[in-house]
Amino acid sequence: MTMLKTYISILRGTALAATLLLAGSALAQTTATGVINGVLVNKSGISLQFDSDPAGVTLGAAGTNAATVNFGNISAFGPLAGGVTRPSVTAANFTVRTIFDVQVVQGGLNSTTYTLTANLAAAAPTGLSYRVDAITLTTVAQTVQTNAAYNTDIAHNLDLVVLTAAPGAGGPAVATPLTTTINFTATAN
Amino acid sequence: MKSTFNFGGTRALLMLSAALCLLTAAASAQSSSGQLTITMNVQSSISLIFQNNPSVGTPGFCPLTNAGTNNVGLDLGTAAFPGSFHTATCVNYQHLTAAFYEVSSAFDVVVTKANSSSPNYRMAAQISTPPPTGVIWLINNVTLTDTGFTQLDAADNFGQPITKTLQVQVRNNVPAQILLETITFLATAN
Repeated sequence: MTMLKTYISILRGTALAATLLLAGSALAQTTATGVINGVLVNKSGISLQFDSDPAGVTLGAAGTNAATVNFGNISAFGPLAGGVTRPSVTAANFTVRTIFDVQVVQGGLNSTTYTLTANLAAAAPTGLSYRVDAITLTTVAQTVQTNAAYNTDIAHNLDLVVLTAAPGAGGPAVATPLTTTINFTATAN
Repeated sequence: MKSTFNFGGTRALLMLSAALCLLTAAASAQSSSGQLTITMNVQSSISLIFQNNPSVGTPGFCPLTNAGTNNVGLDLGTAAFPGSFHTATCVNYQHLTAAFYEVSSAFDVVVTKANSSSPNYRMAAQISTPPPTGVIWLINNVTLTDTGFTQLDAADNFGQPITKTLQVQVRNNVPAQILLETITFLATAN
């Protein structure tokens, strides 16, 4: 009788072990999955930069949208810095010129061209006026170019028209550094 | 029921407004700006040019080559002491003494100023090489040298033609040769 109980107990243990093994086997086949929900917001944009032109003055901070151009010493009859020319001298005024490039890049826009405007940040110093491509600048934005192409350097003439009058008689201050800022805006067409 | 309907309408209006704002933003033209800062230093300056005198072509006023610039030529032709010989009809020829003859021609000098308060200028001239013995180069009767500038005028007016006469005086014993000088004029603002 005791042996029979022992035998039955062994059978029960064996059955339990088999059950546990089967359960373990079922757990090993479980799989795990996951997903990444990628999101990119593609914004449209437009950027403007100034580049040095081979025929003009080498710009300071070229390749940015905040560049500088130094004409150096300018005069009606004296020598000029490299990259500066003097297209005209009259009794009333003389003009000095340099060339700079503007490059505008766009992305995400349904636009093939842009319009470039320019204006003086402040009134021009006495005796001086500024022209971009023959457009005399004021503090009000004026169109310099329409239908300009993207992604390429476009050369522009920058003219300084200087009155020849003496200082105090309508002419500019002499032997004094004069600074003017021109704002440019490129607008996608 | 009424309250629920109103809430739904307000939400719809808000969504519509937001959509319109987005559309408006998308429709507005995009732009980019930049600043170009310019610096320069204006300097006073003056220029000097030679011009033909209005009487050019008449005796005493030979034409300049390259007139209107600061680098001109003045051909006085060929001359000799005997017989008051001279080939150029535009020169003045005269025997100064029994030993010297003179050939002369006049031209204009114009000095212009810009961005200057100077009231006038002074003018000087200098020849480039020592002339042969017996040859004298003069401007308006002032003998020039190659050792330094000789002042011709103390206060000439800007922008006005100043007539100057180049004179070459030659002694009658000077050997035959080409007499050539480069005469530098110097104008200095007062």
